[in-house]
Amino acid sequence: MTPPTTGHAVSLRGLTKVFGGQTVVDALDLDVDSGEFFSLLGPSGCGKTTTLRMIAGFSDPTAGQVLVGGEDVTSTPPHRRDVNTVFQSYALFEHLDVRRNVGFGLRRKGIDKGEIDQRVGEMLELVELGDRVRDRPAQLSGGQRQRVALARALINRPKVLLLDEPLAALDLKLRHAMQAELKSIQREVGITFLFVTHDQDEALSMSDRVAIMNGGVIEQCGTPEDVYENPTSVFAAGFIGTSNLMPGVYASGTVAVTSDLRIPVPGHTTSVDGDQVSVAIRPEKIWMSDFTPAMVQTPGTIVSTSYHGATTQYLVSVGTGITLTVLEQNLPRMRADDRWNAGDRVEIGWLPEHAVVLR
Amino acid sequence: MARAKKLERKPLVAVVVTVLFFAWLYVPIFAVALFSFNDKKSLSAFSGFSTRWYVDFFHNEALLESLRASLLIALVSAVGSLVLGTMLAFGLERVRSRRGRVVGAITLLPLVTPEIVTGVAALLVFTGAGLKLGLDTVILAEITFSIAYVTVIVRGRLASFPLEVEEAARDLGCTPWQSLRLVTLPALVPALIASGLLVFALVFDDFVLAFFTTGVDPQPLPVRIYSSIRFGVSPAINAVGTLMLLVSALLIVAALMLPRLFKSRSSSLDLITGGERR
Ligand SMILES: Nc1ncnc2c1ncn2[C@@H]1O[C@H](COP(=O)(O)OP(=O)(O)O)[C@@H](O)[C@H]1O
Ligand SMILES: [Mg+2]
Repeated sequence: MTPPTTGHAVSLRGLTKVFGGQTVVDALDLDVDSGEFFSLLGPSGCGKTTTLRMIAGFSDPTAGQVLVGGEDVTSTPPHRRDVNTVFQSYALFEHLDVRRNVGFGLRRKGIDKGEIDQRVGEMLELVELGDRVRDRPAQLSGGQRQRVALARALINRPKVLLLDEPLAALDLKLRHAMQAELKSIQREVGITFLFVTHDQDEALSMSDRVAIMNGGVIEQCGTPEDVYENPTSVFAAGFIGTSNLMPGVYASGTVAVTSDLRIPVPGHTTSVDGDQVSVAIRPEKIWMSDFTPAMVQTPGTIVSTSYHGATTQYLVSVGTGITLTVLEQNLPRMRADDRWNAGDRVEIGWLPEHAVVLR
Repeated sequence: MARAKKLERKPLVAVVVTVLFFAWLYVPIFAVALFSFNDKKSLSAFSGFSTRWYVDFFHNEALLESLRASLLIALVSAVGSLVLGTMLAFGLERVRSRRGRVVGAITLLPLVTPEIVTGVAALLVFTGAGLKLGLDTVILAEITFSIAYVTVIVRGRLASFPLEVEEAARDLGCTPWQSLRLVTLPALVPALIASGLLVFALVFDDFVLAFFTTGVDPQPLPVRIYSSIRFGVSPAINAVGTLMLLVSALLIVAALMLPRLFKSRSSSLDLITGGERR
């Protein structure tokens, strides 16, 4: 519909919220580009909803600014901000039917009836609710209510659409279907989505960029691949996917994890010898066979084996107190009795660039 | 068949007690209704069916004047306590503070205060303030008394109404006033109607407060009935009583039924929220 304009749809400048002495959002700086699908990912209670509420105008920041489309709206009331919200609880108007729920915002803008009817019709087609126009929200299923909430916000073509865990209340199967659908709707309408979730899979699979939030601050911001492959903090590495985290001491291009195990970390330049750091290696980046010459190898002992259908997960002890999780694909050529068992001596290896230093 | 069997199995004692209880409750009322159709003046022997006492009533200018007065009192009290009680409910529900909780408790006080105490107190205040007793003092007292009912009912509904829905309205372009008018009040309509009907019914046949706070003329209907009984009970009073009973019962049943009606067939809401309709 509206072509994506260049520039930032939303910018936060030192945005802070304090509730009774507790800093819930701490000097947040963030730029969301126009037309982008941007996710705020973080555990429950990290301040995601509070951040969205300040952007929408329901909550006054303790300090800092909110810019929408480059314009400072920090003291603009919600009804005059070019922002719409899909609430976590959907917050539908139960006394109005689907058609009037969706047309609510346009009616407030004083748009004439003919155009409202046409746009409501189009929007309901888009979210596949064309046959439920006259129904009350109470007559709809959870997934349908979710679509009404989405349509009701989207129809106003805001500069940015805020979505607060919109899929959290749906069951797993429906959630996966809606993830794909939401993403395709976003591409079709070209509106900036600021999407809040605590589900890392959801954030990784849907977003153009992800910001990982923890304790009111953004720990890391980047493309899904970037934040997954190159986590920059212990929290980010642990929150997205699983990671083998090993504390150690940095010394001339390696991290000494134990006296026997020194992990090479080529390309890492920001530490000096003697720094206390952590090394993270993803379980699926560790191999137990088919080694290449470039790989770092070390011997270990299988502690346990667990079968997960498509994968097998091993716990491998590689020295006193160091147990690594290794995830191996169950390839077609592998037989059940090819799997390692507890007590087996094995060799494990990984490419040096997959060992990421965290500070 | 199955149902009849179930009934049979009920212990006899429970059935007897229940029947006696309802008899105790309703036999006097039934007697009043019955004798209002008696064709003789007697209040002990029913000699034949007639509607003469109803005709009597509708020709008794004094009683009719009292009926009009009572209807007016009930209507104005219902509207007045609806406005004030709703405002109070919003205040208590939306401004949460320690003081608010105390005020909330005080609000309920009229519900447990003996009405006669409220009546005497109202009389003392009105005469102390030099007010001339009349319909307006009755209305004032009745409103004071009924605000609590409205507040309790409306507040209950308001408490279960998510704030996020109001925020959604503001998100979609409503000023706070518009979101109140277009979203919050429509959600409260069943509670408003129910409490309005309830107050109307309670005030319409209220005797105690009216007795203490009314002037000489016109007297509210219950007070008029009371004073005329002192000169001997006329079957016309039975007719009036039966009519009042009917009106109150209908209103209370309506007040109890309406919220349920709104839930099951929410389309009837359209009649009331026509504002949002085009
Ligand atoms: N109105 C409020 N008053 C006091 N504390 C609040 C309020 N709203 C949120 N909080 C606190 O702020 C923190 C972050 O909440 P929230 O933004 O809802 O987290 P999230 O959406 O990431 O789960 C929580 O600890 C919560 O208890
Ligand atoms: Mg939240």
